Amino acid sequence: MPKTDKNGLLKQEKQSSKTLLASLISIFIGLIVGAIVVWVVGAVTPEITAKGTSDGIKLILFGLFNTGRNASGALTFGFNAVNIGNMLFRATPIILTGLSVAIANQTGLFNIGAPGQYLIGTCVSLYLALSIPSDKVHPVLIWLIAFVAAMAAGALWGAIPGALKAFLNMNEVIACIMCNWIAANVVTWIFDESNLKNTTEGTKTAYIYKTTYNNVATGKMGLDKIFPGSQVNGGFFIAVLFCIIMWVIMSKTTFGYQLKACGSNRHAAKYAGIADKRNIVLSMAIAGALSSAAGALYYLAGNTEFFWSTYQSLPAAGFTGIAVALLAVNNPLGVIFSGSFMSMLTVCGTQLTYMTPFNEYITDVIIAVIVYISAFSLIIKMLLNKRKEKQYDKRDGGELITPEKAQDEPAEAAGKEA
Amino acid sequence: MAENEYVIEMLHITKVFPGIIANDDITLQLKKGEIHALLGENGAGKSTLMSVLFGLYQPEEGIIKKNGEVVKIDSPNDATALHIGMVHQHFKLVDVFTVLDNIILGAEDTKMGFLQKKAARKKVQELSEKYGLYVDLDAKVENITVGMQQRTEILKMLYRDNEILIFDEPTAVLTPQEIDELMAIMKNLAAEGKSILFISHKLNEIMAVADRVTVLRKGKYIGTVNTKDTNKQELSNMMVVRPVQLQVVKDEAKPGDVVLRLENFTVPSEVHKGNAVKNVSFDVRRGEIVCIAGIDGNGQTEFIHGLSGLSKSSGKIELCGEDISGYSIKKRGKNMSHIPEDRHKHGLILDFTLEENMVLQRFRESPFQKGGFIDRAEVRKYADRLIETYDVRSGQGPITLARSMSGGNQQKAIIARELDRNKDLVVAVQPTRGLDVGAIEFIHSQLVQERDEGKAILLVSLELDEVLSLSDRILVMYEGEIVGEFLSKDVTAQELGLYMSGAKRMDETEMEKVEEAELKAAKENTEGGSKDA
Repeated sequence: MPKTDKNGLLKQEKQSSKTLLASLISIFIGLIVGAIVVWVVGAVTPEITAKGTSDGIKLILFGLFNTGRNASGALTFGFNAVNIGNMLFRATPIILTGLSVAIANQTGLFNIGAPGQYLIGTCVSLYLALSIPSDKVHPVLIWLIAFVAAMAAGALWGAIPGALKAFLNMNEVIACIMCNWIAANVVTWIFDESNLKNTTEGTKTAYIYKTTYNNVATGKMGLDKIFPGSQVNGGFFIAVLFCIIMWVIMSKTTFGYQLKACGSNRHAAKYAGIADKRNIVLSMAIAGALSSAAGALYYLAGNTEFFWSTYQSLPAAGFTGIAVALLAVNNPLGVIFSGSFMSMLTVCGTQLTYMTPFNEYITDVIIAVIVYISAFSLIIKMLLNKRKEKQYDKRDGGELITPEKAQDEPAEAAGKEA
Repeated sequence: MAENEYVIEMLHITKVFPGIIANDDITLQLKKGEIHALLGENGAGKSTLMSVLFGLYQPEEGIIKKNGEVVKIDSPNDATALHIGMVHQHFKLVDVFTVLDNIILGAEDTKMGFLQKKAARKKVQELSEKYGLYVDLDAKVENITVGMQQRTEILKMLYRDNEILIFDEPTAVLTPQEIDELMAIMKNLAAEGKSILFISHKLNEIMAVADRVTVLRKGKYIGTVNTKDTNKQELSNMMVVRPVQLQVVKDEAKPGDVVLRLENFTVPSEVHKGNAVKNVSFDVRRGEIVCIAGIDGNGQTEFIHGLSGLSKSSGKIELCGEDISGYSIKKRGKNMSHIPEDRHKHGLILDFTLEENMVLQRFRESPFQKGGFIDRAEVRKYADRLIETYDVRSGQGPITLARSMSGGNQQKAIIARELDRNKDLVVAVQPTRGLDVGAIEFIHSQLVQERDEGKAILLVSLELDEVLSLSDRILVMYEGEIVGEFLSKDVTAQELGLYMSGAKRMDETEMEKVEEAELKAAKENTEGGSKDA
């Protein structure tokens, strides 16, 4: 029935718009819950007035566009270059960690090692950016060396759990978690032994120099003109570029086809002559390189400082990547938007702290709710698919099912059964 | 009496799923103490009807009567209360529990919260003796054979005092011997007054065991007949729209040059430490279908995995004059296509679309690949052609998810992909397992056509019917060794059965004789061929 071609394409679009809708619904519910939390906190705290509460809710929803307060004390809204610029800046690393998790997921692997890979990227990029003398080597070249080396190191770091999985059949989640803590301790040790500790500002402990100390910083690429006063730099473009490249690789190339084949059914891939072990290592290496790029881009920015005593905590950017990928349903282009959205919430949180008696942790509640809901919708989808499979196994009735209904029918049947 | 003649009556059952009427006004009447077969192709509505009886689905219309009284079955619990039991095609057993624990699971006797197994054990033992259902009560399910698992399922039903027993394609997973045992058990149960509903699309079994047959076709009721008043051809005609030729139509084989030569081929077992295939040597020639026959678990799976490169092997494999024993799977694929045993594990990527599955091995080849990119338009064109040539039916054509296709069409898709690769050697493992008559006929004729085009076909099959009707030469594998070689026109099923069960074995001179006969035919052919040229 090749004639269903056109309908089929429509169907696929419908499917993906359904997925988009699911993500939007999760966001919507998350924001509503956030607003309710603000309202409840406002209601039970005597110091917070009704006006304060309503301001809080407004900021949760539209904090990105808050431009301060007017003479009468009411919140004003409009284009806020600093907020938007900062949103893009903070989005850069989580877009990349999100991309890292998404690519691994597409190939059937759960990369919970993003925080460790992020740390390795941070460590290598900062070490090189601060130790190559900028009076001898051009800073742009230093930046490039630091960035590329960070990605290479991240690829190797990511390949470790990949290799353990491919050759020893060890679960990648466990290997990734172990690698995270190894990274956290190794990085602490390296900087503790180094002479890059920030000693010029005596009040700071356990921070190392900003890369600007060595005149190295990510280029602004004109973004400072559009968003003056913000921290944004060209790193955002690099993140977006990586997303586009990964999208092309995963959906258009034979390489992506192989990776996905191994991820979906390792046995069938092997049967078809695809080197399954190599591909598992490679996809973890790619994921590692992307997470490392996230760390490198964040700390090579020049305006960020690295707290090197990380041995008892892992960077949140790595774990946020899991949420970003989940919300984007593992779509490499989708992570640009879900990553930006997550960082928007962070900006809203900062606004909330500045402008009202509320604190920014409320945004964490919102993010948590969104992750729960989107994970939940994913689980529901998975359950439906499982049911579908069962139904088909049971009836094996391909011929009887009309093309238009083939997709919806088992799901409906399952619903009825429940 | 007239009222109580039937234990179960399903009257005018209609079950609609959105867009499809799975059961359209179907009536099924089960007499007490009879074996009643429910026959139909894949997708005819058999399983839906049984799911209605078992309380898994609620019908839109129709009533169910037990002993003449209308009953309502809303869930499997209701069905159990009415003493209706079902043995599912895929067993519902807890692998790490013992047989006894599985049997009493859900119907345990307890005293102050403690299990009372003694009485249960006694009851199960009695049942097992009464019906000849031999099981080892203390063995764990994961360690026992499929046949014993099935007997465990049957005991589970009997333990619950079920009167109406539903068997959903019970023979699909059994070896020929186990099937015979099951048939005997079913007859025994019926003789003891149990009423049996038997879902199948295997005509031999139905003729052998059932008293009456109800035939469904595309969700509709076709009729109910007594098996003694009918024959296989008639049933087959009722089941499928067009009359199906049960015999494979093919000419005498014309074997040519050697394509595959195995010497001392040995493969380690996938379940134990020893070797599953031991020092096997044979040839497969152009223009012949060679079948490896045997009971499941005698090394066939390992043999194929070793040959295709999925697992390591030792010994010499010569394909088209080239020693491929050290080659990767990909390199072996140069002259070999492989229809795998397990279509869900090896054959397809279920989450990929049909067209993506069609190029599973070929995506690197031109024209599907250009500069590292996949040319979607070419893939689509190719998939469309295969779908049309091999009549692969699916909901949305090339972009259907493989997962959503029926088993028969999934298999057709694999066959299309493998045969179209046009390799000298076609390895087909259980190519028709679980398929309906129409699909089987199609696949057989495709394989015969390949043979006639000069390909060498190596078939592995557990179904004796298929072995005898499709192959030209038969090798019997028993415990990893070739114990007999036959030209299929010279051998009977009974004879093969003796070799398959290890009761007889040929020595080398006898096998050489068969080979000589083969060789003679081959020589004649090559001479004839050169004369023609």
